[in-house]
Amino acid sequence: MIKLILKRALSLPFVILSITFITFIVGYLAPGDPILTMMGTRRDPALYASLRHLYGLDLPWYQQYMNYLTGLLHGNLGMSFRFQERSVLDLLGSGMSVSFTLGLTALALSLTVGVPVGILAALRQNSALDRGSMSVMLALYSIPSFVLIPIFQWINYQLYRFGLPSLPVAGWGTPQHWVLPVLVLSAASVGYIARLTRSTMLEVLRQDYIRTAYAKGLTNRQVHWTHAFRNAMLPIVTLVGPSIAFLVTGAFVVENLFAIPGIGFVSIQAISRRDYPVIQGTTLILALAVVFMNLVTDILYGVLDPRVRVEG
Amino acid sequence: MQKVSDSKLGRTITSLVPDRNNRSGAFTAFWRRFASNELAVFSLLGLILLITVAIFGPVLYPQSVIKPDYAAINAGPSPDHWLGTDNLGRDTLARLMFGLRVSLLVAVYVEVLNITLGVTLGLLAGYFGGLIDVLVTRLADILFAFPGLLLAILIAAAFGAPVSERFGGVGRLLLVAGSISLVSWSLMARYVRGQTLVLREQEFVLAARSLGASDLHIITQHILPNVAGLIIVSSTLDVASVVVNEAVLSLLGLGIQPPDPSIGKMINEAIPFLESSPLQVFLPSLALMLIVLTVSFLGDGLRDALDPSTLR
Repeated sequence: MIKLILKRALSLPFVILSITFITFIVGYLAPGDPILTMMGTRRDPALYASLRHLYGLDLPWYQQYMNYLTGLLHGNLGMSFRFQERSVLDLLGSGMSVSFTLGLTALALSLTVGVPVGILAALRQNSALDRGSMSVMLALYSIPSFVLIPIFQWINYQLYRFGLPSLPVAGWGTPQHWVLPVLVLSAASVGYIARLTRSTMLEVLRQDYIRTAYAKGLTNRQVHWTHAFRNAMLPIVTLVGPSIAFLVTGAFVVENLFAIPGIGFVSIQAISRRDYPVIQGTTLILALAVVFMNLVTDILYGVLDPRVRVEG
Repeated sequence: MQKVSDSKLGRTITSLVPDRNNRSGAFTAFWRRFASNELAVFSLLGLILLITVAIFGPVLYPQSVIKPDYAAINAGPSPDHWLGTDNLGRDTLARLMFGLRVSLLVAVYVEVLNITLGVTLGLLAGYFGGLIDVLVTRLADILFAFPGLLLAILIAAAFGAPVSERFGGVGRLLLVAGSISLVSWSLMARYVRGQTLVLREQEFVLAARSLGASDLHIITQHILPNVAGLIIVSSTLDVASVVVNEAVLSLLGLGIQPPDPSIGKMINEAIPFLESSPLQVFLPSLALMLIVLTVSFLGDGLRDALDPSTLR
């Protein structure tokens, strides 16, 4: 077990180094001079030189990259180009907890809804329940969040207009503000998880050991829960990785359309100010979060499946 | 050993190899299977209609895409403006048809990039193995660490504004397509590589090689025809996500820039007026869903009609 964790963890530095390099080099290659933009209409060569030096932009690229890496190791994501006394971490700090709370709540909701729906549909294959729920799940999966959001907001406007209880359609703070963003954010991954859980469960139900279990005279309930479900859990764990990809893209849309002060919202604001270090920091944080979640999934897979543990 | 790449010999080889036998019969069988799927045929017709509208619609419809009509702001449908106008008094139908053109153009560019890059590298990696295989799979792994649209957002942040300033709307459109395909080509490369790994061990490849066919001949004449189905199906299905991704980027202000219309941008611009003129939000959403659904059903139909055993 420890061997497995170590082996998985050892491949991390290469991936992490590549991620930092890509986020760095895209910014380095970007045309335009951030210092000139920062100075606006003032043209003072001495100030220009000192600002360039302050941000380390007068160094060759490999030294800039080394400085960037050293900074990262100290938990320093760099300085904002636009707010000269503020660091990127400072700008993103509060947004990070908002975004991760939102994302993890949505992930938890997609798993608690998607997995049972998928299993139920598989157990009642080809029934009206199966077909009905899978059509709904396909719709949830294929309707983009920016189409879903206006529909929800419009319904709420109508509810409000007729004096019925309605939810806030933008902002962040009270629990009521959470409902719509979490629902929209989890929609695509609920559909994805439910549909794949169903096909995984159907696959397992076709296995020989299920027939053996029935032949032994076990009840439906015993076969479904102790034989089928436990084996279907394994592939379901691997679904978490791809669902996080939905959540990340979804978070940008949901945060911006609901005006939620997460890192997606903050970095889109930063892009319009041409404040590259902020979006650089966001990219790094999200990519690292995904890499970390994939590592956890890998290890969890090893915990659940003894075969993976042996092969390592 | 002398390698024979004589074109005459090449023809003899191909006539001996089973995968080239009765090509026209295979197409008839494919078409019969495809035609029996009503939903897929219907989607194909729908897609052809959408493409026709995107090409000829803006030419035939008299209203301007960018010129505002100050007498009609946020107006409903009328004989002058068939689908009403937006908050600046611009004609919705004209903008919608042009936005459709933008969506489909981006999709075409992305798929061309994916196919040239992904198929070439996938074929080379799968066929030759060794160093090139390691490089391609490593690169694909790294790009995959950036979930969803993250890398495209990063590219837009760094290069977006300068590209728009220097190369205008067309340049921006190409940048959007390039940044979307930056991650998705690696998916295509993965599929093609996996299929090539299986195909290169087949008897007909061995037969061709023993008759002295060159590597280039084997790849283009024996491997490529057998992965063509996979390429067609996966790029058709990918169009749906490309269209959504372009809309997300434009909606976040990182894609197509105003005043050029894009479906995502239209939704974003109309959301503040959702309460008074919901049609301006729902019409672009509907157009987008039409593209996504026709393309998805068409892709599913193609997958079922092509030999299912060669696909995943």
